[in-house]
Amino acid sequence: MTRWIARRLGAGLVVIWVVATGTFALVSLAPGDFASRLADPRLPAAARERWRRDFGLDRPLPARYLSWLGSAVRGDLGISWQYRRPVTALLADALPPTLLLAGLGLLLETAGGLGIATLQVLRARSCLDRGLTLASLLAYALPAFTVALGLVWLFSYTLGWLPPSHLLSPAGELATGWARHRDVLAHAVLPVLTIGLTGMGALARYMRGSLVDEHTQGYVLAARARGCSRRRALLTHALPNALLPLITVLGLSLPFLVSGSLLVEVVFAWPGMGQLLYQAAQARDIPLLMGGTLLGAAAVVAGSALADLGVAWLDPRVRA
Amino acid sequence: MIPVTNKTLLTALTAACIVLAGCGGGGGPAAGPAVRELVVAIPADVETFNDYQSAGEAMENAIIDLLFPTLLEEQPDFAEHPPTFAPRLAESWEFSPSHLALTVKLRQDAVWSDGFRLTADDVRFTYQAQVSEAAGSTYIEQKAAIYRVDVVDSFTVRFTFRRVYPYQLMDANDGHIIPVHTWSAIPFEKWPTTDFTPGLVSCGPFRLVTHTPQQTIVLERDPRHWSPARLDRVVFRVLPDTASQIGQLLAGQVHLIPMVPPREVARLQASPDVRVVSLPSRLLGFLAWNNRRPALADRRVREALGLAINRQALVDTVYLGHAKVANGPVLSSMWACDRELPVLPHDPARAASLLREAGWADADGDGLVEQGGKPFELELLYPATNTMRAQMAVLIQSDLARVGVRVTPRPVEFAALMARQEAGEFDGVLAAWEEATKVDLASGWATPGESQGTGNFFGYSNPELDAVLQQVAAAPDLERTRVLLARAQRLIVADHPVAFLYEGRQAVALSRRLENATPNAAGVFFGMQGWELKAR
Repeated sequence: MTRWIARRLGAGLVVIWVVATGTFALVSLAPGDFASRLADPRLPAAARERWRRDFGLDRPLPARYLSWLGSAVRGDLGISWQYRRPVTALLADALPPTLLLAGLGLLLETAGGLGIATLQVLRARSCLDRGLTLASLLAYALPAFTVALGLVWLFSYTLGWLPPSHLLSPAGELATGWARHRDVLAHAVLPVLTIGLTGMGALARYMRGSLVDEHTQGYVLAARARGCSRRRALLTHALPNALLPLITVLGLSLPFLVSGSLLVEVVFAWPGMGQLLYQAAQARDIPLLMGGTLLGAAAVVAGSALADLGVAWLDPRVRA
Repeated sequence: MIPVTNKTLLTALTAACIVLAGCGGGGGPAAGPAVRELVVAIPADVETFNDYQSAGEAMENAIIDLLFPTLLEEQPDFAEHPPTFAPRLAESWEFSPSHLALTVKLRQDAVWSDGFRLTADDVRFTYQAQVSEAAGSTYIEQKAAIYRVDVVDSFTVRFTFRRVYPYQLMDANDGHIIPVHTWSAIPFEKWPTTDFTPGLVSCGPFRLVTHTPQQTIVLERDPRHWSPARLDRVVFRVLPDTASQIGQLLAGQVHLIPMVPPREVARLQASPDVRVVSLPSRLLGFLAWNNRRPALADRRVREALGLAINRQALVDTVYLGHAKVANGPVLSSMWACDRELPVLPHDPARAASLLREAGWADADGDGLVEQGGKPFELELLYPATNTMRAQMAVLIQSDLARVGVRVTPRPVEFAALMARQEAGEFDGVLAAWEEATKVDLASGWATPGESQGTGNFFGYSNPELDAVLQQVAAAPDLERTRVLLARAQRLIVADHPVAFLYEGRQAVALSRRLENATPNAAGVFFGMQGWELKAR
């Protein structure tokens, strides 16, 4: 096990290095740089050159890369050119809202998808099954943007139950303790529902297929022959086996947890990683972009390793 | 085990909604809203509150202007003459008989938010930062005509100029005054990477309370200001999505949207709770032809392309009346505009004739004009995120197809577009720039290299114009400047280096609860000290 972990860790570090190096090269070689933001025609070319010099863009690419790598290895991700704040501080600010949003969204998506699929298999070929199939397809087909605007229209503008955007209200920003947490939770409801509802459909379709397959396996028939009820056979025998591929899917969702859902963040003005990195890419803020890339790559590696570990833990055949 | 039925599922979902709704306590703030709190929707966050780190984004500058004073306040009266100025931090000002020195008397009741008095030392320090290469200032060239800034006494400062020219007062005034007692502790070479937000000391009618990145900027009234604001707080909410901005304004959760897209104006005008103010913006939109490309180097070809574009239809279709056709390099709302300039009509027949004259004809009858067997094809670039320019590109494609020119619209990401402009790698670009009241045609129209500006990325060159612009730079008085600028405009328009397309208008949406609000061409937040918010 220790060797397996060491091997995965080594491979993971290589993956992270390759991704970081490739991203650095791509972003640096892409047309335009941080000084491109000085678009005022009255500004002289010299002003752009000064910015390039201030941010080290006048140095050769290998020198810039080695300088960034050396600092990153020492844990220093540099200062964001756009915000003039340490990259680690910006990521630390943006990560929790993203984790909250994506974590709750994934939870809702998984629970909802699983619940719908189970219900469909229990009531296979009934009107409910067909109705839920249609609803799942509809949820899958609807763009997140439409769902988000629909939810905001209903719950914020029409019913006035929930705030339409942001992580906190202006008053909530000044609040502390439970009042602040309550404000955050209220603001999270609609974006979480958007992520959950749009993801739920696809997951329900996927899980339904998987459950139907398992439900017809010999071990389920054997359980039924021993007098096990249909529901019990499904929930205690078929479901755990059907969950195995889901663990891999969820493991690979970890990068989404870290990098955020840009569209949902934009519509709900949610201060997460998606918006932060999108703006960094637009501004060619290389230190911030690289910090986000490292975090995303680490999440992919960790997610994949955790999924493998999860499957191995649950499935004795894999362990063997 | 609880049986999972439709009823159970519905009950669970309803209960979840009720519980979650209970968390919110309504769509508004968690606690009771503060009295007289103005909420403004802004599309992007402020990156810095230091004017001398800023990339010059308009909204960022407007917010900085609420926190840091300028010496004088530019007035929106620049249609017939350069703008006049009202006292702000400066109580009075006077030029020396030679007009080479400007003495400015500061008001003595201006106090920084930490209690320190604002003095002439702050003004001198501001100038030092403005001309500091190490600080990364973008003001260096703009301040080049100022030789030095001296402190005469605690509340008097003297600007000495290298020469006499009409824009001396504008140049002295440009830029916000910053606090020497706190910011001088940071060496200029560290400014490009320093965050000035923590403990920000300001001297505007408002001071910074909190800045939550990508969320809100909360300003509160500074009671020590010489003209205290009537609003208690101003909250800038970052709302990147236009639909969310509009929805929140209609729901009463936002009181002001500084820039409403034209397609949304009618909807907002229909609301009894909203009023929309349409301001002449300083945006000049044009299609820049790459004058270095052989096909476009011919003046007749550029004129033909301009004649072929139905600019009125373009403005009507894309801007829905919230813009007007542009006719030259100076906005018609500016004092320096030559209003007698010839108007370029929409005349496809004349365009086709000019193209024939320039050697472009449809020899093979395929609908495209050719020269030496090569069809006339142009790639038209525009910023990928700008949907209005995307619409324009399609309309222009259709107009130019009628005279046998094939246009391929190409959306390009902004930084990449800037790089392609800088490198001259384009046929045509749908561009726009914001014009200053200090009319400076050299930065956009002088031969590249002759000017310090980067506006002329399209490679236009006319030695006669360069000579006129040099005379403008040396003109000592306004009358001479005005005459020379008119001559320069005629030369530019006659050369058709670009196709002038539109002069933008800025639609500002305000809640009817907002009283005394007077957004105008000098700024959306102009005179905010006097704004009031009626109770619901």
